Amino acid sequence: MVIMEKETEHPAPPFEPQKVAEPEPQEKAMITVSDVDFSYGAHQVLFDVNLEIPPRAVTAFIGPSGCGKTTLLRCFNRMNDLIDGAHVSAGRIELEGHDINAPDIDVVELRRRVGMVFQKSNPFPKSIYDNVAYGLRVLGATKKSRINEAVEKSLRAAALWGEVKDRLDSSAYGLSGGQQQRLCIARALAVEPEVILMDEPCSALDPIATAKVEELIYQLRENFTIVIVTHNMQQAGRCSNYTAFFYLGRLIEFGATSKIFSNPSERQTEDYITGRFG
Amino acid sequence: MAVPLPVRRWHADSLIKAFFGSNALIAIVVLALITIFLFREGFGFFGKNLANIRLYRRAGLEYVDILRDSANSHAALSRSLNDIRKRAAATESADTLSRFDEFSTAFSDSAENLNGLVSDAGDKAVALRDALALLIGDVDHSGENSEQGAATPPIDEAGTIAALRANTATFATTAAALDRTIRDLLKTAPSFQDAITKRAFEYWTKKVDGYLASLPATTKKLQAWNPERPVPAYRAVTSFLFGRDWITASFWQDWYGIIPLFVGSFLVSIVALAIAVPFGVASAIYVSEVAQPAEKRFIKPYVEFIAAIPSVVLGFFGIAVVGQTIRHVSQSSFFHWVSFFPISERLNIFTAGSLLALMAVSTIFTLAEDALRNVPRGFVEASYALGANRLQTVGRVIVPASLSGIVSAILLGFGRVIGETMVVLLCAGNRIAIPDFTQGLGAFFQPVHTMTGIIAQEMGEVVRGSIHYRALFMVGLALFAITLATNYAAQKLVARYRMSIG
Amino acid sequence: MKIRTRQRIAQTTSFWIFRLATYTILAAATYIFLDIGIKGSRTLFTAHAPFINVPFLTQRPQTLFVFDYQGTKYTLSDSEFRVWKAQHPEEVEATSVAYSAGGVWPCIVGTALLVIGSMIFALAVGICSAIYLSEYSQNSRFIRLIRIAILNLAGVPSIVFGLFGFGLFVIFLHWNVSLLAGWFTLGLMILPAIITASEESLRAVPNGLREGSLALGATKWQTIRKNVLPYALPGILTSSILGISRVAGETAPIMFTAAYALRDEMPWQVQHWTDFVFQGVMALPYHIYVVSSKIPQNEYTERMQYGAACILLLLVFVIALTSIVLREKARRRLSW
Ligand SMILES: Nc1ncnc2c1ncn2[C@@H]1O[C@H](COP(=O)(O)OP(=O)(O)O)[C@@H](O)[C@H]1O
Ligand SMILES: [Mg+2]
Repeated sequence: MVIMEKETEHPAPPFEPQKVAEPEPQEKAMITVSDVDFSYGAHQVLFDVNLEIPPRAVTAFIGPSGCGKTTLLRCFNRMNDLIDGAHVSAGRIELEGHDINAPDIDVVELRRRVGMVFQKSNPFPKSIYDNVAYGLRVLGATKKSRINEAVEKSLRAAALWGEVKDRLDSSAYGLSGGQQQRLCIARALAVEPEVILMDEPCSALDPIATAKVEELIYQLRENFTIVIVTHNMQQAGRCSNYTAFFYLGRLIEFGATSKIFSNPSERQTEDYITGRFG
Repeated sequence: MAVPLPVRRWHADSLIKAFFGSNALIAIVVLALITIFLFREGFGFFGKNLANIRLYRRAGLEYVDILRDSANSHAALSRSLNDIRKRAAATESADTLSRFDEFSTAFSDSAENLNGLVSDAGDKAVALRDALALLIGDVDHSGENSEQGAATPPIDEAGTIAALRANTATFATTAAALDRTIRDLLKTAPSFQDAITKRAFEYWTKKVDGYLASLPATTKKLQAWNPERPVPAYRAVTSFLFGRDWITASFWQDWYGIIPLFVGSFLVSIVALAIAVPFGVASAIYVSEVAQPAEKRFIKPYVEFIAAIPSVVLGFFGIAVVGQTIRHVSQSSFFHWVSFFPISERLNIFTAGSLLALMAVSTIFTLAEDALRNVPRGFVEASYALGANRLQTVGRVIVPASLSGIVSAILLGFGRVIGETMVVLLCAGNRIAIPDFTQGLGAFFQPVHTMTGIIAQEMGEVVRGSIHYRALFMVGLALFAITLATNYAAQKLVARYRMSIG
Repeated sequence: MKIRTRQRIAQTTSFWIFRLATYTILAAATYIFLDIGIKGSRTLFTAHAPFINVPFLTQRPQTLFVFDYQGTKYTLSDSEFRVWKAQHPEEVEATSVAYSAGGVWPCIVGTALLVIGSMIFALAVGICSAIYLSEYSQNSRFIRLIRIAILNLAGVPSIVFGLFGFGLFVIFLHWNVSLLAGWFTLGLMILPAIITASEESLRAVPNGLREGSLALGATKWQTIRKNVLPYALPGILTSSILGISRVAGETAPIMFTAAYALRDEMPWQVQHWTDFVFQGVMALPYHIYVVSSKIPQNEYTERMQYGAACILLLLVFVIALTSIVLREKARRRLSW
């Protein structure tokens, strides 16, 4: 099936990032995962995960499907609370040094600070404008001018402004798949989170739309901490600074993307990256 | 800079959750309240019923009823003679007939003394009962139960009972005289030409023998009767659950037995299901397996719409059209061979049942069609792949796979029918009696009263708090229990069916 | 190949039997609709403008008087008869037939009031409990218990609801025969259907909308209010319309809780506005019960009997049709 993308009219040049800067671990980690086990009911899917996600960088989670990438990602903003019986059974997850699973944490505030973009784009059945303004209104913003400003800023940041500025009041469902996903990113940006979690944001997009989103992610790195789950090795290589490789619920290797891709220290990582399994 | 995560605000969310949760509780609360209020209003029934039965014994009504039974048996024999007379009219000579008339008049006259005895004793017992009821106070009686408790006349209870029991001896002599009279009378009986009439009369004679033989037993019963013998408490329950009479507002004795009502409800439901099940299941199969898509699109909503017809409209239609039609049909010569046609009452079990069938068809169709449609297509395709044709696939694969779904549809249909009020109230004939099953299928063309109908009809007229009022609540409770049990069984079946399909 | 032939014949025959059964049901229902529709429309419609029998819809039920006067036969309603008697002082022998003249205006009003009140109550409570069940509840024993209770409540006969309403509202709470008692009795009766329909609509809203909203830092309630309920509401309302038709047509629950066979005042003719909810009303289904069981079937009563039955049937028909049309529309519009 050919999706008629608006983007096809101005084909974006294939996205070629310059060599990613080496990690500088002197900065304190944004998210710290220590000794985490996670279970759905009695079914344990994460085993003893230890990880430090550096701030203002893109961290990619890779691994065969079913290895627990999504699960870990959803731990970071406690989205798993919505699933019956799902729980962190051991270990700690900290956001800037604060335990996010502590009993007195305000989950709502946590989720504002840790935004999320889903695998399947999920714009609300509202206008484009209302989609972006939703988060602000929920936070209590009422001033029209401020909301207008923030909407424009977020849409610009999501590289969508030019395409939609004339039809802000039309339904978000009229956008193409790639535009919808970027709208979801814009929506997440509007509430000014510190961390943005992305769960295979490009899995449903064609290559051109994917390129646009990847470029966007690359630019966002300067202001946000980004964690992206991906299936696509090239994607991880292209747009991430750090890469974590998971296998069967365990973190096998974590390090600078360049190192993981050129010189992995684990056999399994190498096998996976070179496509010997997966 | 690390902004600390704020501590959870006790914001409205938990309150909101509690609010919605309390709303969700309402189903449980209502079920509980229904149970509580049916019990609250109904439970006093047993106490009052026990008092009622105790008074029945204490005042000697029970004693009189033993006498009355005997008189009633005699009267029944007289009525049988009338039936024989009707048959004989066609076949016998005028002479035989006139002798027979003489005979039957003499026979019914023979009970004159016995009847007198019953009515005398009855008057005494009723007077005593009314006096005692005023004294005890809490047993309300249909008739003249006024609130002048203070001005009770003195009661000579022992005297009345003694006077009543004196009737035992009288009965013995009356019975002996009766025995003699009847035996003499039998010798004068005319003989009939027609074989059938003859046989009927011989059968009657045998019954008379039986009756005469029972007289000494009755005397014994009278002698054994004791007003002081305590009535066990369980009688209050058993006389309700197994009682075959529902008699209210009678000057004699009220009985609250649910059996005639239950039987009425049950028979109406049986008729409704007997019609609705084949039609409902057949049409469900038709729509899910045979019909064209265009046909489906209009049949389904149409049948579902039948469920929306207000039952009172159906009931009215029954009175205005169906009852009349059924009677006309039963009178037509075409159905002459049916023994119980023509029917006498246009409103009867069958009238109500056939209307309820239409309601049940809608329920059964909808649920059964659902069950059929949910049979995994894999089964069906496998069957076709093995060379079975459509009918075989329907019969051997689809219907068995959805059988428990269909059975639960039928159960729910039953629940709907037995709880239905307006149709039976308007169309079942409202005669409180257990149908005469000796007529075979004819029993289904007799009027009955039902559990739902009796509540609807009598609730508006009873005195609040009276035993009758409480009895109606007990009927409601029984109905509630029956429908809950049906519903529960249906749910269990569906659950099992879901599991077996996977 | 003889077996094949036989099988084919068996199949054709059985399918024809099934077809016959199906169309027999449809024919029976159609016969009812036609009989009531045709005889009822003689009452409801007139041959000349405005083509609708306005008096039947706007008057209250009255006793019909039938008599012969100077060779002509008169059939007059109670009020007309009084006027006539004032003009003709001589005595006439008139047969009176209860309920058979006039119209059904108070019954329509009463039914409308009962429907409105009970639906408001049932929708409010029903939607709230559906929100709890679909949005808040986790799968626990307690929730299963609630679900079982809802299913069982749906099977309770309407006359038992009537008894219950009588015991609780009329007697225990001393509301007497009143609109209020009728509202709650009917509302509780229809509640399981509303809960089930609402929950279904809520569950049809895709989960992505909830997650998307929560991930933006919306609270649960904000999510429900802004991003779930608005999309479920059309579905809830359309499936609840069928509930209206059931409430409008039920007789047994209002027999002892809300309905009067005859009442002279209209519901708004009350002493004090607080009396409004504590008054009993006439209702269309109960009126049909009364006119079909308390008066004989003859040429004089047929007008009222068929007219009232036809109106109720028409009402239910329109409601059901609306709901079906709306449902189809909603289905086409909201495809996620
Ligand atoms: N809601 C759930 N309930 C139970 N098990 C789940 C649920 N979601 C995922 N799982 C299981 O957890 C494991 C990890 O899933 P996931 O985190 O989605 O993997 P990935 O995103 O790496 O493909 C899988 O085995 C999956 O079956
Ligand atoms: Mg995943």
